[in-house]
Amino acid sequence: MTLRPLITLLAILVLVSCNDFPKDPRSTLDHIRSERSFRVGLVSPAAWNEPDPNSKRLLMAVANAAEASPKLVHGETEVLLAALEEGKLELVIGRFEKKSPWASRVTFGPPLRVEQRGNSELLLRPAMRNGENGWIALIEREARNLGPAAQ
Amino acid sequence: MNNAYPPHVKAGIRKAIKLEYWTIAWLMTVVPLMAMVVGSSQAMKTVWMEDMLGFIPPIAFLISERLERKGATSSYPFGFDRVNGVAFVVSAVALTIMGGYLLFEAVMTLAWAEHPTVGTTRAFGQDIWLGWPMIAVLLWSTIPSMILGRLKLPVARTINDKVLHTDAEMQKADWMTGIAAIVGVMGIGFGYWWMDSAAAGLISFSIIKDGVTALRAATAELVDGAPRALESDVVSDEAKRLKSALTRRFPSAKVRLRETGRVIQAEVATVPPKTVPRLDEIWPGDPNRAWRFAHLSFVPTSSSKVPR
Repeated sequence: MTLRPLITLLAILVLVSCNDFPKDPRSTLDHIRSERSFRVGLVSPAAWNEPDPNSKRLLMAVANAAEASPKLVHGETEVLLAALEEGKLELVIGRFEKKSPWASRVTFGPPLRVEQRGNSELLLRPAMRNGENGWIALIEREARNLGPAAQ
Repeated sequence: MNNAYPPHVKAGIRKAIKLEYWTIAWLMTVVPLMAMVVGSSQAMKTVWMEDMLGFIPPIAFLISERLERKGATSSYPFGFDRVNGVAFVVSAVALTIMGGYLLFEAVMTLAWAEHPTVGTTRAFGQDIWLGWPMIAVLLWSTIPSMILGRLKLPVARTINDKVLHTDAEMQKADWMTGIAAIVGVMGIGFGYWWMDSAAAGLISFSIIKDGVTALRAATAELVDGAPRALESDVVSDEAKRLKSALTRRFPSAKVRLRETGRVIQAEVATVPPKTVPRLDEIWPGDPNRAWRFAHLSFVPTSSSKVPR
């Protein structure tokens, strides 16, 4: 076996992956585009607080990119992340510890803001369901455009 | 013992040492690169573990070769020829156990339907899907490995080194690991999350197979089994021909062969002849391989009669 099969395989894969890549196993981004809406959980201690300005900017950027409108719910961290893990939400935005115990169960995106609290850091960041890589790529792109590194 | 090797075998050993140092140097670039891109892909984790295991055969070879040169001591009157066999067993056990563990991980990931996340990174102002750097590192992990494997194989045959041969065969076959892992990563990209774990499982099977094959051959040597072929655990053709030659020369004597490292030792249960023949005179095969027949001993039996 020579290198030729390896190179041929790669060339084919690069060509077919040019459009809409990566894809979501559960077609999250496709559903959002067809339904023109996505469900967002905002972590907030008081249910009726105004969302953080950075969170609002992210929501607007994602809505533009996905051509869909956000449907907001407010709640506590554990409740919202559990709902995200089960697929009842597409996105959660809140302040999470840098080494969150949820890191293996959901995918955290780039931070929008970093706050120092004693020895720990709190990051305002989006969280997405594991494995929905197309949707994750969109959120990550928009979060990077707004995050501390971009400012 | 090393001083008894002919020049072409000594040259082969020197070349093998260089190739193993190259292997270690290359692995020292691969393993950290893999660590940077591994993410949550099970296939990538499996390849990363396999690459870390890849340190064992070259290090085992270099240590055993150095010890082999020491020669006999009062504590080790037979020298260190068997160190090669010990190194072989260590490599084989590590491969087998790790392969089993990785297979278990892959099966559990499939059973739990864990969807791997492969996100993006920003470089030079562009958002790049992390699968592409993964594939680039996989190619760097695979292609030099195949080249090194092909370079090592003829050397392993020349110096009859099982550790080097096993290492070479594994590296030469790395193209399969590379393709499986690339297919797994691209499967994630196309939304087929299960392809990642399936690829990891296939790679694990390959690691287990390599480990078990090596373990069977390695333990055969350490329990004084008949000399095995380089490529498998069957008795080698050279050993069969040597045994026939000794049996013809010493009819009705019991002939036993065993392997210590690269060389063969023969034991003939009979009264020693008045004139003991030279070993290369007895060797029936390729004269360039006569160096492998390193030791002939005569063992008296209860029925042996001492000639007057």
